[in-house]
Amino acid sequence: MDHVFASYHPAVAFSFIVCAAGLTMAAQHPVYGVLSLVGALATSVVVRGARPTLHSLAWAVPMCAIVACANPLFSASGSTELFCIGSIAVYAESLAYGLCSGAMFASVFLWFASYARCMDSENSLALLGNAAPVVTLMTSQVLRLVPQFVARGRTVAAAHDAASAAAPRDASEKARGRFRIVSVLMEWGMEDGLARTDAMRARGYDCGARRTTYRRYRFGRVDAALVGSIAALAALNAFLVATACAQYEFYPVMSRLTPWWGYGAYAAFLALPVVLRIKEWWQWHSLK
Amino acid sequence: MAFVEVSGYSFAYPCASEDARANEEPSWSVRDASLSVEEGAFCVVVGRTGCGKTTLLRSMKPELAPAGRRMGSIRVMGRAVVQDGVRVDDMSPRESAAGIGYVMQDPGAQIVCDTVWHELAFGLENLGIPQNEMRRRVAEVAHFFGIEPWIHASTASLSGGRQQIVNLAAVLALRPRLLLLDEPTAQLDPNALKQFLFMLGRVNRELGITVIVATHAPEDMVSYATQTVELDAGFAPASCEQAKHVMEPRWKRRAASMAEQPDLIAVDEAFVRYERSEPWVLRGIDARVRRGSVHAFVGGNGCGKSTLLKVMAGIMSPQRGRVRNASSSSQALLPQDPKTLFVCDTVADELHEWSARCGYGAAEEREALRRAGLAPCGDRHPYDLSGGQQQKLALAKLLLTGARLLFLDEPTKGLDPQACAEVSGIVRALADEGRTVVMVTHDLDFALVTADEVSMLFDGETACTEPVAEFFENNLVYRPNAASRLFGAI
Repeated sequence: MDHVFASYHPAVAFSFIVCAAGLTMAAQHPVYGVLSLVGALATSVVVRGARPTLHSLAWAVPMCAIVACANPLFSASGSTELFCIGSIAVYAESLAYGLCSGAMFASVFLWFASYARCMDSENSLALLGNAAPVVTLMTSQVLRLVPQFVARGRTVAAAHDAASAAAPRDASEKARGRFRIVSVLMEWGMEDGLARTDAMRARGYDCGARRTTYRRYRFGRVDAALVGSIAALAALNAFLVATACAQYEFYPVMSRLTPWWGYGAYAAFLALPVVLRIKEWWQWHSLK
Repeated sequence: MAFVEVSGYSFAYPCASEDARANEEPSWSVRDASLSVEEGAFCVVVGRTGCGKTTLLRSMKPELAPAGRRMGSIRVMGRAVVQDGVRVDDMSPRESAAGIGYVMQDPGAQIVCDTVWHELAFGLENLGIPQNEMRRRVAEVAHFFGIEPWIHASTASLSGGRQQIVNLAAVLALRPRLLLLDEPTAQLDPNALKQFLFMLGRVNRELGITVIVATHAPEDMVSYATQTVELDAGFAPASCEQAKHVMEPRWKRRAASMAEQPDLIAVDEAFVRYERSEPWVLRGIDARVRRGSVHAFVGGNGCGKSTLLKVMAGIMSPQRGRVRNASSSSQALLPQDPKTLFVCDTVADELHEWSARCGYGAAEEREALRRAGLAPCGDRHPYDLSGGQQQKLALAKLLLTGARLLFLDEPTKGLDPQACAEVSGIVRALADEGRTVVMVTHDLDFALVTADEVSMLFDGETACTEPVAEFFENNLVYRPNAASRLFGAI
C-alpha cells in the first residue's frame, strides 16, 4: 500500500489515471505520444517501483515494435519511400504513424498497470461502496473465491497425478481427467456455497436492515484541491490535444513540428505523481 | 428458567420417498434431547458424527433451523424458539443474528469476505450499525483476540487456526449473549486447537458469554467445561497404557518382520522451497521408508511434513538432493480433503470410475463397498456422506487401483474416534497384506495405534526415526493423550 497515492482519497488516483489514459488514447501525435509514454513510465515507477516497470517494458517494447513494423505493411501511404520489401513500399510517414500507435499501446498498458496497483479492491469499492453496499460485498466475495478456486485446482490435479496406479492410458483419458477437475471444483464450490450462505444468514445478512459500510475514506481539502486541479488540467489538455491533432497530418507528408506551450501544459499534467513523490522525498530529507 | 432450555426435543428431516412418509414413525435425527444451560455456563455437547449434534445446535438458532418434523420445546434467552413441536417466530432475525453467535466446523468455508477487517465488520454491516459504533466494536474484538497485526491480511492467506479465530471474533463483534459452536476445532492442528479453546475460555469467563459447543473429542475441553451433555453413549475413554498393552503383541510381531525389509523410499539431502525468494521448507532432509511398513511423519505446523509427502509422491521434485521411490508406478495419494478425489454423482460410480484403467470388475467394486462399510450408501452422492464415510470411500477408491504404496495426508482430520479407529484398522490391515503406507499426521494417538515407525520432523529435517513404541517412550512432551476415546475404540 505504499505507493504515491496511498495517503490520498482513491478519487485522486482514479481521476488522474483515467484522465491520463483517456488523453493518451486521444492523442495520435508524435510529441504527445512521446510525452504520454514518458509520463506513463514515470507514473509506473513512482506507483509500482522501478523493477516491475522494467518487467512490463520487456513486454511493452516488443509490442510497440510489432505495431510500428506492422503498420507500413498494411497501410502503404505516405510520400517518402524508404525501401521496398518485394512489391511493398515502406514509407517514412507510415513507419512514424506505426511508432506513434505503438507508443500509445505501450503507454495505455502502463496506465492500466498503474491503475491496478492504485485501485485495489478496497479502493475501487471506496468509490462505489457507499452507493452500492451489495456490489461491495459481491466484489469482496469474488476476490476471496478466485484464489481459493485456483489453489484447490492445484490440489486436485496433484492428487490425481500422484495416483500413478490409476494413471490415464492415453491422451484422451488425460484430457478428460483435466476436464473432470473443473467439475470437481464446481461441485465443491457449490457445497461450500451452502455453508457460506448459512454463515451469512447467521450473521444477519438480509435481515431487513439497510447495510452500512465499515471503510471510511475522508475526502479532505487536499484531495478536493488535487481532484480539482486534475480535472481542470485534464479539461484544458483535452482542448489542446484536440487542437493539436486537428492541425497535425501524417499523410501524405508529416506536418512540421514547432515548439508550442500546449506541450508544456500536458507535461505539467503528467508530472503530478512525480511531483507528489518529490514532495514526499523532500519531507523525509529536510524534516529529520 | 434457565438461559437455554431444551426439553424432550426430537427432530426428523423430511423423507424423500412417498412410502417412507406414509410410515408413521419417522427416523429421528435428534431423539428426545434435553438440556438446561444457565447463563455464563460452558456446556460441552458430546456425541459421535451423525448423532444429531449439528441439528440440535441449529435448532437453537432460528435462521439456521432445519425444516422437518419436530417434537418438544426449545427456549433460548427467555424466548420460545420451538413450542410443543411447532416453530415460533418470537425472535426477529435481527435479534437472533446479534444475540446468538454461531461458529461452524470448516474454518475456510464460513469466511465471507476477502480481508480480515471486512470479515470482522461483515455482520455489523448487515445489521446496519452506524460507522462509528462499528469501528469501535471491530477495534475491541481485534484487540481482544490480538488480531491487530494482521487485520489487513487476506483471509485466504491465513492458517486454519487463525481463520477460526477470525470467525469467532467476527461473531463476537455482534455482541452475542450466547455462542453456539459446532465442532469448531475438528479441522485444527493440536496447537491451533489449544489456542482456539484458550480464546473461547476467555470469552466465556471474562466476558460472561454463555457457550454451548458440540464436539466428538471432549478431552481437550475438560478444563473449560462447566457441564457436559452426552448425546449418545459412544466409546468410553481408555488410558494410553491400556492401548499400549493391546498394541504390544502387534508391535513385536511387526518389528520382527520389518527388520530385514529393504527401503522402498529413500530421500537423500533434499532441499525444497516453493519460490526462489522464499525460505527452504525442507533443508537437507534424509528419510527412509521400509517396504511393507506403516511409517508416520509427525511434527508441528510448518515443519515440512506435507511437503515431504509431496516430494516422496513425486508431485514436487527437490531443487537439490535425490528421491528414490521403488514403487512410484504403483502408488496413490489420499489428500487431506477426500473431496479432491470425488468426480462422480454416486458412491458406486465413484468406485467404478477407474475400472477400465486398472482392470477390476463389478465384483471387486461390490467387495470394496462392503469392506468400507458403505454397502447401503451406493446410490448416495459422495458429498452427502459423513466425513468419516468420505474418507473411507476415498481410501476404497484408491485401493481398487491395486496401489502397493499409499500416501495419506492427515487421514484423521475431522473424524470422530469411531471413524479414526476404523481408518486405523484399515491401514493396519493394508500393512499386513504387504502394502506400504506413508502418512503425515498431527494426531499422535492415531500414530501410536497405527504406525510401525515414526519420524519426527523439525525445521525441515528429520529429528529422529524410531519404532513406534520407543519413539513415544523417549519423548517427554510430544506424546499421545493420557486417555482418549480412540483408545477406547481400539
